[in-house]
Amino acid sequence: MPTISLRNVEKSYGNGALNAVSDLDLEIGDGEFMCLLGPSGCGKTTTLRMIAGLEHLSGGEIQVGSDKVDDVDAGIFVPPERRGMGLVFQSYALWPHLTIERNTDFGLRLRKVPKPEREARVTEVMQALGIEQYRDRYPSQLSGGQQQRVALARMLAVNPQVLLLDEPLSNLDARLRLEMRAELKRLHEAFKTTIVFVTHDQWEAMTLATTIAVMRDGRLQQVGTPNDIYDRPANRFVAEFVGNPPINLVEMSAAETSTLARALRPVLGERTDVGSVGIRPEALHLATTDAEVPTGAFHVRARISGVLPTGGSWIVEIAAGNDKLFAAAHEPPGFTAGDDVVVWAKPAALHLFNAAGDRLAGLASPDHARKN
Amino acid sequence: MSTPDAPAKPALAATPRQNEQMRSKGRSRSVWRLALRDPTTIIGILAAILFAYLIVVPVISMLSDAILVQFGEERRAHAAVGMPTLYYLTRTFSSAVSSDLFWQPLVHTLEVAAGAIILAVAIGGTMAWLLSRTNMLARRWLATALIVPYMLPAWTFALAWTTLFKNRTIGGQLGWLEAIGLSPPDWLAYGQVPITIIMALHYAPFVILLFGNALRRFDSQLEDSARVLGAGTTTVTTQIILPLMLPSLLSAIILIFAKSLGEFGVPYVLGLPVDFDVLSTSLYRNISSRHTGVAAVLAGSIMLIGILSMLVDARLVREARRFVTIGSKGSMNRLSALGPLRLPATGLAFLIFLLSVGLPLATLFLSTIMRQPANFSPDNFTLDFWIGHDLGTVALRTGILLSPDLWNAAWNSLWIVGTASVTSGILGLLVGYVVARTLLWPLAMFLRHVTFLPYLVPGIAFAAAYLSLFAVPRGPIPSLYGTAFILLLALVAEQMPYASRAGISAMMQLGKDPEEAAQIAGAGWLRRMLSIVIPIQKGSLSTGILMPFISGIKGLSLFVILAVPSTDVLTTYSLRLVDYHYTQAANAVVLIIAGLAYFGTLLAQKLTKTNLAEGLGG
Ligand SMILES: Nc1ncnc2c1ncn2[C@@H]1O[C@H](COP(=O)(O)OP(=O)(O)O)[C@@H](O)[C@H]1O
Ligand SMILES: [Mg+2]
Repeated sequence: MPTISLRNVEKSYGNGALNAVSDLDLEIGDGEFMCLLGPSGCGKTTTLRMIAGLEHLSGGEIQVGSDKVDDVDAGIFVPPERRGMGLVFQSYALWPHLTIERNTDFGLRLRKVPKPEREARVTEVMQALGIEQYRDRYPSQLSGGQQQRVALARMLAVNPQVLLLDEPLSNLDARLRLEMRAELKRLHEAFKTTIVFVTHDQWEAMTLATTIAVMRDGRLQQVGTPNDIYDRPANRFVAEFVGNPPINLVEMSAAETSTLARALRPVLGERTDVGSVGIRPEALHLATTDAEVPTGAFHVRARISGVLPTGGSWIVEIAAGNDKLFAAAHEPPGFTAGDDVVVWAKPAALHLFNAAGDRLAGLASPDHARKN
Repeated sequence: MSTPDAPAKPALAATPRQNEQMRSKGRSRSVWRLALRDPTTIIGILAAILFAYLIVVPVISMLSDAILVQFGEERRAHAAVGMPTLYYLTRTFSSAVSSDLFWQPLVHTLEVAAGAIILAVAIGGTMAWLLSRTNMLARRWLATALIVPYMLPAWTFALAWTTLFKNRTIGGQLGWLEAIGLSPPDWLAYGQVPITIIMALHYAPFVILLFGNALRRFDSQLEDSARVLGAGTTTVTTQIILPLMLPSLLSAIILIFAKSLGEFGVPYVLGLPVDFDVLSTSLYRNISSRHTGVAAVLAGSIMLIGILSMLVDARLVREARRFVTIGSKGSMNRLSALGPLRLPATGLAFLIFLLSVGLPLATLFLSTIMRQPANFSPDNFTLDFWIGHDLGTVALRTGILLSPDLWNAAWNSLWIVGTASVTSGILGLLVGYVVARTLLWPLAMFLRHVTFLPYLVPGIAFAAAYLSLFAVPRGPIPSLYGTAFILLLALVAEQMPYASRAGISAMMQLGKDPEEAAQIAGAGWLRRMLSIVIPIQKGSLSTGILMPFISGIKGLSLFVILAVPSTDVLTTYSLRLVDYHYTQAANAVVLIIAGLAYFGTLLAQKLTKTNLAEGLGG
């Protein structure tokens, strides 16, 4: 199956506003499960629709395998009906006047697939998605989750080379979402389809994707595996967008007023290029006294302002001077609100960003000098 | 406030009815005891009696006229007055004169309706698509401008047509074409062709509003999904777009059909000179010549056709609901780029506006300031017809604005229609209150249906029903014919479908909470009504009053049967002027009505922040 390449793709809706998508370079490999992740309005849907051929590019080109499907300069544009892709909309967009069966076999009929084959294929797909019993119903008689499956079935029936999914789970309740997520993963493995999945839910992206592309204001921020994105965010935006509870960010420019910035200063040592420091909640540790803190580690005296159990893990809200921190623990923290503690983190766990917010090289961990 | 996309006519929503039935389950005795202590029940029962009298009784009285021997016709019917007879049915449907009385007018009515529907769908459908799905220029302005024909009385256009095309077949001032020596043939000047064209232009806004609304709400993603699956433009259009648009289009078609059935002014002005009768004018003729029995048969037939078409519509609505689009979050409305056709398309829309609004109004206005038709030399222009004295005419010797008759008619229009609208608005809210609150579901059902009934009866047939009931003294009630009171009652009844729909939907949306909070705070029923319910429902109350007021001001068919010279309203007054061939004066009055209706609609929309689409069908 083909690779999809986007080169210098631009999209403006010509209404004087900012570009919906700017200078986008993205390679979607064969069999990949690619998540486009970003806040609402960042251009994910637009990108997906351009890949499907539902929007014309304003600049750049898109190639599928060895064929250009879109090239503004060369004037090439392959219409959506000839791209052989499957697209599932956030709102499902089922045809309300057709039964579930007719919705599902629409594409097969267009391809003039003979009736016995068509019925066999429809049955196969419906069974795979568990909607066979609804064959003769209309979309309005199904629940959101069932409609979602029909939308998937409709696209899968024609065996598309690429499956494009636009926030397909966002209208489902939590439990269904979990089920559908597992199902999508299964589908990906079973059908070996290339999937491009749009979501604004970082948790969804982390659990599903083989590769995540983070977007912001129409620009690509970072492409990488879920672990890459989480462990080595390319900039402050990515660091903040991914992770729950969110990363703790400390502005180094506020050193006079911020307890945390003052405490970080000695850890950073000679590093004057650092504009801000990010610490993931689970990288923060709690201790009763300074003595328990490893040498060279970042540490600060603070007070617990709250402990929130979240079922199996705990979020600890901590006040250090005027600053607030979140720590996350997978064991009971052993402190309660009002306790005085020392909060610490290994230097290697600190994410450093320059004044523009871009990632800097981290600090080496002085693991040779452990106390105790 | 009712929702902006509520159906344009009083629909019998399913949910409340189901509620009513659920409430009924096997505890009726205690429910009755409880209900009788509740002011809601008392009011509901009073309202039910009132509407039975104002709506059901007139209709029954009229229908009974069709099968009972009428006064003075004992010899023809070979039976005594008041005895049952088939005479009128036979006379209307299968006698030597039945062709003139019924069959010809029926064929004409159907032909005109069919023609008007085809034209209106062609014009309105194109305009709706251009307005809602393309990048045509000036769409905002045109979206309002193209609806204007509906705000004006239909026979405004009929008068404009005669002003242009009238030939020497009938008396009075010549049409402009005749005046400059081009004799328009009768088929162009009168009868089926102009009636069809005018009705089409007048009703095209229905299509623009109903069909356009559906087009606007059509989710482009439904189209997109088909395209990514490989469907080309033709497949997308025939298999996805058209089937989904069909219900709204059919709804518009049936609405046009039902409206054209009762349309009186246009065929009266344009059909009479060549004896082109439709059902409504045939009915009018028979009422004027006091053939009450035949008139009742005709009115009943119109009513029956009206009811049938509404039943078809209700069925369609139910069908359509089955595949109603599910509240789609990410729905999109993409506009098609017209490319090189953008300018021509814009031009076409402006042309339609010019033909359906600009030209008729300009013609009418010019005709009122010109002595001789189609003579554009400066000395032919005068303001005499508006404000002149000693006009050398037999009657109406002053300009129209100086005529006491005009002001009398204007005052009548204002107070009769105003009082009726306020009354029906308040009654509508009360009906809504009872329907939403009462524990007795039969009461709720009855009120809901009885107030809807006039919607099925074309105005002219309804007026005939009123005439039949109130023209003679009955029991303690004296003959009301010739008084303003009969107009008032008929208007209230005719406006009830809209008023009660507005009231029911407003009260259903309000819920019980605000009122119960007041009840717990110790407020009695009247107090709750005055300081909680009515203030909250101010908005929908004013919509429920203003919209019927405007349609009442420009309404004709009800008044033309029930008004006498002393109770003339503006519309009947202008028709009288037409009859007397006072062309300029008649046109001036029609312009005044058009202005009132147009600015009234704008004002109402501004005040109530509602959309015209809601007032549709009024
Ligand atoms: N049809 C359109 N016309 C004009 N602007 C649009 C259109 N579609 C999207 N946009 C704009 O483009 C930007 C990106 O939109 P979108 O791709 O839908 O974002 P996302 O899917 O990431 O939420 C937004 O600012 C949006 O307002
Ligand atoms: Mg989106």
